[in-house]
Amino acid sequence: MTYILNRLLSVILTLFLITIVTFGVTNILPGDVAMMIMGTQSNPEALEGLRQSLGLNDPLIVQYGRWIGGMLTGDWGTSLIFKQPIAELLLQKAAASAVIVVMSMTIALALAVPLGVWAAVHRDKWQDTTSSTTALLGVSLPDFFWGIVMILVFARWLGWFPSSGFVDPAEDFLGTLRHAFLPSLALGLGLMAHLTRMTRSTMTGILNQEFIRVARAKGLSERTVIWRYALANAIGPVITIAGLQIGYLFGSIIVMEFLFSYTGMGWLTYQALLNRDLPLIQATVFVVAAVVMLTNLAVDLLYVAIDPRIRLG
Amino acid sequence: MNAPAKPIVSVDHLRVEFPTRGGTVIGVEDVSFTIAPGETLCVVGESGSGKSVTSLSLMRLVEFGGGQITEGALTFARADGSTLNVATASPEVMQGVRGNEIGMIFQEPMTALNPVFTIERQLTDGLILHKGLSQQAASARALELLKLVRIPEPERRLKQYPHELSGGMRQRVVIAMAMTCEPKLLIADEPTTALDVTIQAEILALINRLKREKGMAVLFITHDMAVVAQMADRVVVMYQGRIVETGTVTDIFENPQQDYTRALLAAVPKLGEMKGKTAPERMRLIGDEAARAAAVAPKARKPEVLLDVRHLTTRFPVKGGILRRTVAQVHAVEDVSFTLNVGETLALVGESGCGKSSTGRSILRLIEPTSGEVWIGGRDIRALSHHDLRRARADMQMVFQDPFASLNPYRRLKDQVSEPIQNFGLATGQALKDRVEQLFDRVRLPRAFMTRFPHELSGGQRQRVAIARALAVNPKLIVADEAVSALDVSVQAQVLNLMMELQEDLGLSYLFISHDMAVVERVAHHVGVMYLGRIVEIGPRASVFENPQHPYTRSLLSAVPIADPRKRRFADDLTFKPITSPIFPLGHTPAPSTYTEVAPGHRVLHP
Repeated sequence: MTYILNRLLSVILTLFLITIVTFGVTNILPGDVAMMIMGTQSNPEALEGLRQSLGLNDPLIVQYGRWIGGMLTGDWGTSLIFKQPIAELLLQKAAASAVIVVMSMTIALALAVPLGVWAAVHRDKWQDTTSSTTALLGVSLPDFFWGIVMILVFARWLGWFPSSGFVDPAEDFLGTLRHAFLPSLALGLGLMAHLTRMTRSTMTGILNQEFIRVARAKGLSERTVIWRYALANAIGPVITIAGLQIGYLFGSIIVMEFLFSYTGMGWLTYQALLNRDLPLIQATVFVVAAVVMLTNLAVDLLYVAIDPRIRLG
Repeated sequence: MNAPAKPIVSVDHLRVEFPTRGGTVIGVEDVSFTIAPGETLCVVGESGSGKSVTSLSLMRLVEFGGGQITEGALTFARADGSTLNVATASPEVMQGVRGNEIGMIFQEPMTALNPVFTIERQLTDGLILHKGLSQQAASARALELLKLVRIPEPERRLKQYPHELSGGMRQRVVIAMAMTCEPKLLIADEPTTALDVTIQAEILALINRLKREKGMAVLFITHDMAVVAQMADRVVVMYQGRIVETGTVTDIFENPQQDYTRALLAAVPKLGEMKGKTAPERMRLIGDEAARAAAVAPKARKPEVLLDVRHLTTRFPVKGGILRRTVAQVHAVEDVSFTLNVGETLALVGESGCGKSSTGRSILRLIEPTSGEVWIGGRDIRALSHHDLRRARADMQMVFQDPFASLNPYRRLKDQVSEPIQNFGLATGQALKDRVEQLFDRVRLPRAFMTRFPHELSGGQRQRVAIARALAVNPKLIVADEAVSALDVSVQAQVLNLMMELQEDLGLSYLFISHDMAVVERVAHHVGVMYLGRIVEIGPRASVFENPQHPYTRSLLSAVPIADPRKRRFADDLTFKPITSPIFPLGHTPAPSTYTEVAPGHRVLHP
């Protein structure tokens, strides 16, 4: 319990720091919100009036307080370019991206864990070399390359999956999955490399432990020894890395959603940045940061569930 | 062992090879022996002798370590009356034998249990697998097993995880695990090496009782001749992958035929053999008669105090809560006082966690003591500034247990030995080079080793380098923290003799921290017995060993196995009191240590 409270406390503190940084950085950026709204040719008096009504002339600390207050009460402001309430907009796009995040991580783990285990079990043999070559190939080529390959192979030649677009999950969930699959696969291949290496190295360490020999001495089958006794011990660090990769994923998702014209969070961020939609940028950054933090918290709690030794701390 | 029964295992001309990139390495060669039901066969040997390879071959576990059985037969009499050649059996058949008909106990209780599964799960999975029991029936049996190995509060242990149990309890769980299916053969591979001596005594007694009650055969692998003397019916002595000698335990100990066996036995200190002697004596090493002669006449010295430790106390904070505040303290060293004379050895003995290492480190201020005084050569080390402390450390050096960890793997040995000389600016250029050469001569290492790296040396050679490095700055005091504990017995004897020789020649004082009572009896002038951070008994070695007064000293001495099969001690289970926790709440002020003098210089802590 103490551990969970500790972690929650630090998450809240970090989120608070993130709001300050986000707010600070977006306000230092050149560009005037009022001018963005009214256009560069507008009347200076009208501009000034808009600034007044938006509160842009207030001291920064007051503006920050207002922003935080709004964030806390669910009033996230209105997007300048989409003319829509930001909270609503973000929720919709975040859901679309969540499909990609979950799917790509599932693909990455589903490939990486068996590959890493396989490499560790056959350490320094051809299986190990194959596994590390595959992993290296995944990481050394950028994800957009894989994206292009996916489009060529699965959309253009085979025609199994659509090459672009997005379907609202409320209307056609299977359609959403079909549209999300190729970008997810492309991202998953990039994520897989690290996870494979991590699985291999933790498994190698665990397989040399005495309790593995003890498990074999009990007459347990190799399958039980490797997939239960060893993997239960080795999976923790792999999941931790996967959690950290969620943060990295938000970076690459921008490119990938753009490539596949998939209108999710990445696509939204791209639009917001391109058009200097400050309120939207601030909210997006905050949401991404919060999601990354909470994912990592969830991962750490999962780790606690897996490894009883951490419960004491 | 009259009228030998049909053996349960017979090993014939076993040969195990390990294919490596550098060619094939032979693990064992031409190894043959048999084990009868109800018999304990001890396989004894030093590191690299192939004793573990032999035991792993019997389980066919050797192939998981990259080994291959290339020759020989391992015939095992199965429960159903048939025989099985383990060397050629299919992996599936072996899975049915392992843990079912052959049980195995390993060395490291701390790592032998899977840390993420409960004790119950680890005890029951073998039963479910081999005996087809339901989870419920298996759990009931697991509870019985924990009672069989006499674990306190067995019901609670089932639901616990390994890290919640002490080392002794974990080893009991490992033994219970090996016993789950009532195997006909129990293989114990160094089962007590990692344990404290009182816990070792309990585990040895437990194995003996189980063997007697269940009529098992036991294959007991160990490097410790004293344990062999206590446990074995018959003994196999191994050296470099081959059997040197086989015989009954009394034959091996009293009438060894081979030089290697004789040398091995000679190198083993026997507790009690120093009775009636006051000064330390070098180890008998075959082929080292010169050292023996030199040891006959120890120089008489006028007692002169070098190190005077007064009321030394060291506590470590225990952090807890959301703000990581100090919530309690570990009383690692509690009001410890003693003196050490020039040219003498004071041994601090005790079990793990008793504070002996913390005491040694506190004296050098490698960890900061909480209070007390440490006088050496007229200066209080505790009162020195950091600059002066650095200077003062030239007088006091340390030798650690693991020479592989205490030497830098990336630096040549001569650079590591010369480093302290350069740090203190004691010599440069040719003088430095000469000094390093002298030091290598001094610890009897060839000068050719000077340009080598640590991994090119054996354990004993590495420890000699560590000693040379400690000697480099002409210290007056050397704190040797378990300095010979990781070494093979014959190497240990050589290093001990070297240390004693250096003491006589250079007038060094040793603070000799050790858990090994037999070694301490051999080397120490004075002995301090530590328990829960305090010295419970201290005095001249002869007085403490021959007339122990404190109950803890007595139980410690009674737990030490003696390398003499005619002095067997562990008839049945013994129960030593578990050591209580040295963690106390903040603000707890323990009573000062007060002593009664029971003989000249021999003091015992008031209860």
